[in-house]
Amino acid sequence: MGDRSLDELLASANETIAAQSSELERLRAGAAQVERFREALGVAVTGAAVGSPVSHTRLLEMVVETAVHIISANAGALLLLDEESDELVFEVAVGGKGEEVKSFRVPLGHGVAGLVAASGQPMSIAGTDWVETAQEIAEGVGYQPRSVLCVPLFYGGEVVGVLELLDKLDAEAFDSDDIGALSLFANQAAVAIAQSKAHQDALGILRSALVGLGENPGELSAVASEVATDMVGDEAYGQEIELARLVHEVASRGPEERAACKAILRALAAYVSSPAGARTGNVG
Amino acid sequence: MSGSGYRPAFSEAFKSDSLAILDPISPIEDVSEEWAWGGARGRGVRVGIIDSGVEEGHSMVGPVNGWLAASMAAGDVRLSSEPHEDAMGHGTACAGIVRSHAPDCELYSIRVLGPGASTGEAFIAGLRWAIENEMHVSNLSLGTTKKAYYAALHELADLAYFRNVILVTAANNFPISSFPCEYASVISVAAHEGHDPETYYYNPMPPVEFGAPGINSRVAWRGGGTSLVTGNSFAAPHVTGFVARLLEKHPDLTSFQVKSVLRALAANIRREEL
Repeated sequence: MGDRSLDELLASANETIAAQSSELERLRAGAAQVERFREALGVAVTGAAVGSPVSHTRLLEMVVETAVHIISANAGALLLLDEESDELVFEVAVGGKGEEVKSFRVPLGHGVAGLVAASGQPMSIAGTDWVETAQEIAEGVGYQPRSVLCVPLFYGGEVVGVLELLDKLDAEAFDSDDIGALSLFANQAAVAIAQSKAHQDALGILRSALVGLGENPGELSAVASEVATDMVGDEAYGQEIELARLVHEVASRGPEERAACKAILRALAAYVSSPAGARTGNVG
Repeated sequence: MSGSGYRPAFSEAFKSDSLAILDPISPIEDVSEEWAWGGARGRGVRVGIIDSGVEEGHSMVGPVNGWLAASMAAGDVRLSSEPHEDAMGHGTACAGIVRSHAPDCELYSIRVLGPGASTGEAFIAGLRWAIENEMHVSNLSLGTTKKAYYAALHELADLAYFRNVILVTAANNFPISSFPCEYASVISVAAHEGHDPETYYYNPMPPVEFGAPGINSRVAWRGGGTSLVTGNSFAAPHVTGFVARLLEKHPDLTSFQVKSVLRALAANIRREEL
């Protein structure tokens, strides 16, 4: 202590303080980015849950658009896993020539996307020597990216797809903060996507149930039980399935019961769509 | 049984006439880098790269001493010991990092990722091959989140531990269970931001036990070139390289001793206070 002057100690302390301030600033910026993600995703999910204005496909596009915008990338793509074939299916692409590609498939383990899905590990890759590696992405978006950030989408503890961003703007590569933020976002997006899909399926059951009222109750039962089996374990939609079962139970009693059930549900649907129904938020 | 009377299971090893007498190793606080791996280049140490394949002859990789490719055919795993290519570059990157630490080690490419592979079954078959073919250390910059493979992988990781086949795994980046990086029987590694390949840290809060460079790292890639990469996948091979050097000088170390030595020499241990 005696060997160092007060000035030296002060200078050293100031340096430490400056370094800590800069680190704090970096952390704050990271937190703000995550917060922006959360808000954007909230809007997307609420839109999807409300129903008609945002379709499942639109939700997927919004997920990629949000990620591309907040991470500052040139383009992005979302691929979901088809478990039957162990392939990733190109669902949506934003930027590049994304709108031209649909139903593009990448085998698990192939290229960056396939590797990320197979390993469950996010990855950032950049550089000029890896053209073949990213061939599937190049074909997907219609151009050759310089840098790629790819993270897995997890739902129910398993990989259900990947989210890929291409060409970080104003930098050679995506950095670790980008990986962290996109990984967090991807997990939330995966939940939103799965719920939107289940919501879509549940609406499908109800639609089938209503159509089946006037036609073939046996077919309705088969459809309902098939979809219900698929959705076992998804508690969020258990009530909708229960509703479909009740409709089926009533419908199977005879034509008069079917007609009555249809009339009640139509009246209920009209009420909840009306300003009075919307204001109360529920009818129970 | 005659004459010896009843002994509980597994107690034979501790009978006076069969008790193993072993050489001591330095007290852990006396372990130095010089003792552990000073001057070592991984000579005679077999290193398995369980990944997407390794590109032999890449300037950062050099020769590959053996091959195994696991792929799926009609629902069954097929094994081939013919030389293969790297399906994407990931395995070559890992091999190059190991080589940078242990230039004289023997590299074995165990391909379980790539078109036609990339299943839990192929992964398990590759890992089993590494253990049965006595790799001294294997790098696993991959994992699975599928619970269906939890028990089989756990069993293999324990088998490797008991046979002193060191498994170095890349940690998962998510708060989601992933295997085998969460097992206590493996060495789990995540990336830190530094670029000094000799600097690694110990983390006292498992399951991730070590941190090594893996952020914006320039690594070998398929096609003879390089890539700038970020991921825990590229941190694990640094530790694999340290283990290869350690095992050249101390081939009889057990799995738990290897982990203890790595902990003792981590950059965040206050060794100057010893």
